[in-house]
Amino acid sequence: MEKLVCASTKIVQMQMPQLASAGMRLLCPGLQNALQVQQVRHRQTKHWKPEFKRLRRQKFIKIELPNLREKPQDISKEEMRSRMKERGVLPPRPWMERPFHISCTGGIFEAYVPPEGDGKKSIISSSGTKQKLEFLEKKSKSLMAVRKIRAYEENFSSDDFGVQAQEIYIAAHTHMAAKEKYKIREFVSERCYPEMMHNVKDKTIHWRFLQSLEPPRVVHARVTEVITKENLFAQVTVRFHTQQMLAIYDRFGRLMHGSEIVTKDVLEYVVFEKHISNEYGKWRLHDKIIPDWLPAKQPAPITYRITDEIVEEAPKELSGGEQTKQLETGSNQLTDINMSGSQTTTSIQPHTDGPKPTPAI
Amino acid sequence: MHKVIRQMAQLTLQTPLLATAPATSVAKLLAVPPAITQNVDCCGVHTASTGGLCAKWNKHNYGPRKWLEYNKTVHPPQESQDEEPRKAYVCHMRTNIKYSPDKMWYIAAFVRGMSVDEALKQLNFVLKKGATDVRETILEAQQMAVERHNVEYKSNLWIAESFVGKGRVFKGMRRHARGRFGRVEYKHCHYFLRLEEGEPPQHYYLPEPQTPQQQLEQWLEQMRSRKVISSL
Repeated sequence: MEKLVCASTKIVQMQMPQLASAGMRLLCPGLQNALQVQQVRHRQTKHWKPEFKRLRRQKFIKIELPNLREKPQDISKEEMRSRMKERGVLPPRPWMERPFHISCTGGIFEAYVPPEGDGKKSIISSSGTKQKLEFLEKKSKSLMAVRKIRAYEENFSSDDFGVQAQEIYIAAHTHMAAKEKYKIREFVSERCYPEMMHNVKDKTIHWRFLQSLEPPRVVHARVTEVITKENLFAQVTVRFHTQQMLAIYDRFGRLMHGSEIVTKDVLEYVVFEKHISNEYGKWRLHDKIIPDWLPAKQPAPITYRITDEIVEEAPKELSGGEQTKQLETGSNQLTDINMSGSQTTTSIQPHTDGPKPTPAI
Repeated sequence: MHKVIRQMAQLTLQTPLLATAPATSVAKLLAVPPAITQNVDCCGVHTASTGGLCAKWNKHNYGPRKWLEYNKTVHPPQESQDEEPRKAYVCHMRTNIKYSPDKMWYIAAFVRGMSVDEALKQLNFVLKKGATDVRETILEAQQMAVERHNVEYKSNLWIAESFVGKGRVFKGMRRHARGRFGRVEYKHCHYFLRLEEGEPPQHYYLPEPQTPQQQLEQWLEQMRSRKVISSL
């Protein structure tokens, strides 16, 4: 029936914006010009009289074909509404509340600032004295925090914690390299998990902890309350000076980063967190502190193109986010009595922060 | 199921409290629903009661699923440095294109074994409806290769596999003379593509066609290796 005999094909080249509008918007603009070609076929198997056109059309019983390549996000709101009406479907009921469980904080509170040059500055110089003074001030706060931790965890001592922290550190990293996504949860907090496991799936990571050059020591400790006064989280920053080996291979087993042979000395300030008011809380790796004065990273061996990030229309997005945040605070106010609105916003804010730099290994 | 029940319990608990909450918080709460309903509207309708999309009898038809799984294989690291680095590859597909698989085959076979740039250039001049889909699929795959699969240069790719699968077919009717009827098939097709890193091979199809010189040599060889039975 539809045997087309191509008698002659004629290429009509013209500026056709409607052709370019539908599927070609995806293509880059340079290629659009090249595609402005339309095909016209003059077949001669049909009767020449136009009045038979209607009769020919009537031979086919029209059925409605669904558009299988339609994406849900392309359908407009009104369109969706009319379709649901047509099928007699009620719109799904909106859930006003969202349950959430806080088992870790969303960031580091009062982060430790590693001294430049690893604190080797002379006390006699002005900046050196300032550094020392700040240190003393912070040290007293750390001591208070350690005392608070000891109230919940009796055998906690800042001297022995370094060894324990190193075990957690090694376990977390070996599990990451082995892609053990369930086992790693024991050693890594929920905030840290996506940072460590992001992009790990299609890579092969060879990581080895060779030795500790200096014994790890606790440099900083803080305790904070979340929502209620009894709900306490402790964060301890540990300084590691270690020797490690790292080699990252891509999906095809080609070396992407690092080396199997070269060992590197690594100086790190790692934050560990524990939900101390929870009886079954564990010390887990929470974050790494990357100082500003760190020298720039070694660039990747391959060349790549930097894409300009498109700045999204901020005001509209922001208003939506604020609304949900307000909702959260509102619903919390209804359930928790002790809590004030300002506290929740501070506790939620770190979650909504943008992506942070992944920990430098 | 458990989750839903819990949420509902919370809801019933909260409704009386909502009325007593301060006016400002009520206003905030009222301001929220549009944002939520917007999200809800985005989800698709799975409840087409008739036709090919009916979930009642067609729910196990997921379409092709294995092809993209090849993108997840992780190859072991290469042992020695002097070994040639393994070539990267990306599998990509476009499903349910409203075009006949029979017609799409010509385009798929045409593009096979070409370098990506060459294929994109050539497809501009293929005056068939499916050529646009093939073109777009190639461009998508190229972008994927560079962004996710550690391919350094986007032009250094060639089309290692390109083939067509049959998609959903909707059956229709047409009238014939004398009260008879015929069947019309409205076909859809899937297009599958694998890009590989490197230069395209000289000859995609094996065995390679021989040059006249080679043919002559082969003929000579054949002639000389003859065994003439019961001769000297």
